[in-house]
Amino acid sequence: MKTMLRLTVANVKSLTRDRAALFWTFVFPIMFVFLFGAIFGGSGTTKISVGFVDEDNTPASAAISQAFGQVEFLTLKTGSLEDLKDSMQHGDVAAIIVVPKGAMTALAAKTPLGLQIYTDPSKSQTTQVIDGVVVQIVNHINLGLAGGSEVVTVDRRTLQAQPLTAIGYLVPSILAMALMQLGVFAAIPLVQQREKGILKRLGATPLARWQLVGSNILERLIVAVLNAVLIIGIGVLVFKVTIIGNLLAVAALVILGAAAFLAIGFALASFLKTEDQASGVVQVVQIPMMFLSGIFFSFEFLPDFLQTIARFLPLTYLADALRQVMVDGTQVAPLGVDVLILTAWLVVCLSVAARSFRWE
Amino acid sequence: MTRSGEPVIRVSGLKKLYGDVKAVDGVSFEVGRGEVFGMLGPNGAGKTTTIEILEGLRDPDEGTAEVLGLDVCKHPQSIKQRIGVQLQSVSLYPRLTVRELLDLFGSFFEHHLPTQQLIDAVDLGERDKARSMNLSGGQQQRLSIALALVNDPELVFLDEPTTGLDPQARRSLWDLVKGLQARGKSVMLTTHYMEEATELCDRVAIMDHGHILEMGTVQELIRRRFKERAVFFDTSPQLPMDRLARLDGVVRAAQEDGQTVLYSSDIPGTIGTLLAMADSLSVDPHNLGIRQATLEDVFLDLTGRALRD
Repeated sequence: MKTMLRLTVANVKSLTRDRAALFWTFVFPIMFVFLFGAIFGGSGTTKISVGFVDEDNTPASAAISQAFGQVEFLTLKTGSLEDLKDSMQHGDVAAIIVVPKGAMTALAAKTPLGLQIYTDPSKSQTTQVIDGVVVQIVNHINLGLAGGSEVVTVDRRTLQAQPLTAIGYLVPSILAMALMQLGVFAAIPLVQQREKGILKRLGATPLARWQLVGSNILERLIVAVLNAVLIIGIGVLVFKVTIIGNLLAVAALVILGAAAFLAIGFALASFLKTEDQASGVVQVVQIPMMFLSGIFFSFEFLPDFLQTIARFLPLTYLADALRQVMVDGTQVAPLGVDVLILTAWLVVCLSVAARSFRWE
Repeated sequence: MTRSGEPVIRVSGLKKLYGDVKAVDGVSFEVGRGEVFGMLGPNGAGKTTTIEILEGLRDPDEGTAEVLGLDVCKHPQSIKQRIGVQLQSVSLYPRLTVRELLDLFGSFFEHHLPTQQLIDAVDLGERDKARSMNLSGGQQQRLSIALALVNDPELVFLDEPTTGLDPQARRSLWDLVKGLQARGKSVMLTTHYMEEATELCDRVAIMDHGHILEMGTVQELIRRRFKERAVFFDTSPQLPMDRLARLDGVVRAAQEDGQTVLYSSDIPGTIGTLLAMADSLSVDPHNLGIRQATLEDVFLDLTGRALRD
């Protein structure tokens, strides 16, 4: 065990002294976060568009509309709930406020009236702002109309907006991508070490194979966790993405995902002879996977036959699982299925690697 | 040379096939404790395969091999604890320093020598914080010897330790190997430099096409084939070989590396009749010299090929 840790330290040292490897492992995924964050993150200074649905069409509802209209940073867009939901899914409005039918009657009778608001949980920043505004206005109305008793209440509903518009969707995607690359790219140094005879030299010492494999896995898992911390950290701190899920579940998925892709990397390394071959094949594996797995745009936009392919790719399920746990996005498959499929990839590839891995 | 007790290596009828190619084809030999044993042969002779079987890196197809009294197939881990290994290609973690590599390799063994002692032993004191990728060829080779010594092994395997080194670096490596023997280590090395085998080895096995052709001390090997010394010279135009072979004392006449070589049991007689013949043909033999037969001659005589072809 101590030997394995020493070897892990040696691997980590080798990595930290290799600027190119450092760039691809850590900086590249972060660049993605910033790139997509800049494109889709939005900035805090512009006005927030909010859909307003007046189903009551009475002076009372008009007054409510006016109250919202006076909030400086909100732009109201009126329309039917159907149309506005559509707009919200396309990212044109950030939330929808609905004044239901019978509002005036309810207010007059001082019977409870629920004001509905639709928000997108993956856009936590806007959601919080709108929620705050609605609560304030509702309190104001209650105070004026009913002397403080809670006549008007807020009925919160969620609507997942179209994913491409949300950096919140992209953070788990980029994390999944980084873990995929981390694992698949592990084939390269392994093939390199074999080609250079480093593995053979280690084979001539009493070092056991499990210690060698274990140290490689451990090194990569350390890198995976660091990567996850960096990507999630930047998502949360810079782009204000709210992680709704439990961090332990996220960590468990990060490790399962990294392990599954490492197994794929090791399995690839068993069949590749030279470093050049390895770099080529790794790209052939990782680039299509990146685009077919719905990590940067939703899966449903792919033609049917590509969707079928995507349904076999492990990245589809890792991204889906991370999304479900981190930001509660629309799902490709239930979480349990995601975990099951990733585990299957892990087991199959690990047994392939164990059977056909060559040390020279 | 001190040979006593049990041999450190005992190989019998060893065979290893790669597809249809018989890389090692029935090799048997022993190496005594404290001995420096060399395997001499061209590339592809089966030297490396043989040494790698002994190091526990490959399994033999047939035959038995014992290292330090242990069967290489049954006890590879115990053997690896007690031997030192230097492989043909010097490759290590390129971004780790000399000191880090020695510390790391030491951690693989139950017992290991202090890193500083190893650094001093191979004279890398001034480069101990250099990354292995930045070392010169000779320094890398010295590092790889130091790595072979981390566990203070009883038996050290060196596979072509000086290939690709300049003469000065080669000499300094030879001194290292002699130092090992002086400290009572047994050494088995492969080489295709006959000079190296002559300089370092107590005994030599000449290997070609998977077979050991001859085995013994360098002097034994030479005397077994050449009871005579050799007269050599460059000539232009070439003197007729049949007439050269009939000169006084000549046992055999040959062309080697662009030179004419006359193996002779009577050097003064050969030179006298050679000069007379050259004079009568108005040819001037340049660079005339006399030498002992060498391992190179032995190899050529055994295989009909020069060692480095």
